[in-house]
Amino acid sequence: MNWSAVDPSILGPAFVAGLLVLATHVPLGRQVLARGIIFLDLAIAQIAGLGVIIADRFGWETSDWPLQLVAISAALLAALLLYWTEKRWPRNQEAIIGTVFVLAASSGILLLSTNPHSGERLTELLAGQILWISYEQLLPTAVIYAMVLAVWAATYRHRSSLVFYTLFAITVTRSVQLAGVYLVFASLIIPALATHRSTKGALLPSYGIGIVGYGLGLILSALFDLPSGAMVVWMLAVVGTIWVGISRTARRKAT
Amino acid sequence: MKTIKIIVSLGLFCAMLPVNATLRVFACEPEWAELARELGANHVSVYSATTAHQDVHHIQARPSLIAQVRKADLLICTGAELEAGWLPLLLRRAANGQVQAGQSGHFMATEFVEKLDVRTTVDRSMGDVHASGNPHIHLDPRRLTTVAKALTARLETLDTANANFYQAQLEDFLQRWNESLTQWEKQAAPLNGLAVVVHHQDWRYLLDWLSMRAVATLEPRPGLPPNAGHLAELKQTLTEQPAAMILRTAYQEDRPSLWLSKQTGVAAVELPYTVGGNAAVTDLFTLFDDTIRRLLEATE
Repeated sequence: MNWSAVDPSILGPAFVAGLLVLATHVPLGRQVLARGIIFLDLAIAQIAGLGVIIADRFGWETSDWPLQLVAISAALLAALLLYWTEKRWPRNQEAIIGTVFVLAASSGILLLSTNPHSGERLTELLAGQILWISYEQLLPTAVIYAMVLAVWAATYRHRSSLVFYTLFAITVTRSVQLAGVYLVFASLIIPALATHRSTKGALLPSYGIGIVGYGLGLILSALFDLPSGAMVVWMLAVVGTIWVGISRTARRKAT
Repeated sequence: MKTIKIIVSLGLFCAMLPVNATLRVFACEPEWAELARELGANHVSVYSATTAHQDVHHIQARPSLIAQVRKADLLICTGAELEAGWLPLLLRRAANGQVQAGQSGHFMATEFVEKLDVRTTVDRSMGDVHASGNPHIHLDPRRLTTVAKALTARLETLDTANANFYQAQLEDFLQRWNESLTQWEKQAAPLNGLAVVVHHQDWRYLLDWLSMRAVATLEPRPGLPPNAGHLAELKQTLTEQPAAMILRTAYQEDRPSLWLSKQTGVAAVELPYTVGGNAAVTDLFTLFDDTIRRLLEATE
């Protein structure tokens, strides 16, 4: 046990990053679950990464801003493609998403076989490490997420699939760079999954599960000196499971 | 009221005492942690960010890393871009002015020795090469001597009160080190000129010291995993230019070297690479004892 690392100035930025990720991913995750397309984030993130590798391949010196632009454009293209396939073959959408994911990942490997430098870029894009984040870096993400949430709220009554896919692509491209693919997947799916039985007012417990999961995960990773991202994933699952247990007993008592 | 006064003055008194007389050292790799222990003895407390079983090119972020850099007086790393993937991020997050680049608390071992394979131009097609030269310098005991002297000078700058102590430690270390060096070079005489296959370029300085030759590398380019075409090529190379053994570190995957060993009959050898690389390697001396013993065993 190591209490010295349980320090707000060390864990604070990571926790705030977690709150930002949760703010957008909890509502998006409920949609993802309802649509039955749970691997959407992996596919979108992978294509964002692929876009960067291709840009690198054509000799673009991708410094910070152009890199983000390339990543977002690639993700948006992927979103458009998947929007189209959902209209065309709605019943096979999940299988198509899975196939797109492995194709994007394999193209990455093929392209990288001659250029490990862009491999570093791919790792940066897919394996963000939440602990390395500083408050200043969170600002652009906060602005983008505020806009995403504004559009999400404005289109509450009639939200077309196109809007959903677009918002999703923008959100995930940012979040994987902050938190990495595993943590993004967990933030998206676990809170939504744990509360999917309650249709009304499920947003609040979902946020609660997310916040407690991130908080516990970061503190435990500090106490036991373990990698933070993986620890948060586990705590989200543990807190989610406990919530399922509690709400089930509550329901049984009510009937 | 009186008790509060006592507590406050006690607190002030404690704050004025040197809370911790030792220098706090943050080492990126176990070899530098061990060197700091050899030279600083009980005047330093050392934390190592990685173990021998981790690939220092990539490490996972843990809260303790930030906490340790934050309170460090001296940061000892390899440099030459070896830690480029994580050290800059860690330094920025820890925001400890004392150990930032350019400060006396920032010690990069490769800055003090001549590096091999320094490139004037680095092309992306070359793979994950370090423009500033091969960074794996600690496996040349002669270069380690140079680093030990530079580190002692740094310890003396940071802790002037104990300068004499550090100087005596260095002299003692160098005496033992030079004795061992003569012995290692004598033992390793049969290895002179021997051809080997390496997994990655991390043996560059060891081979240079012992006058051994690397005839092939398992990685097609530095940092890229071995692939089928390259392994087939390697097999061909080895039939024309037989090698005595295939070398890998404790943290590298053993499958490529075992595969090639099975295909060619050349022995695959795992060397400790750094302190803690196997149970017998507990310090810098046993690191070279064990490395040479394993190399000699493989030639028998």
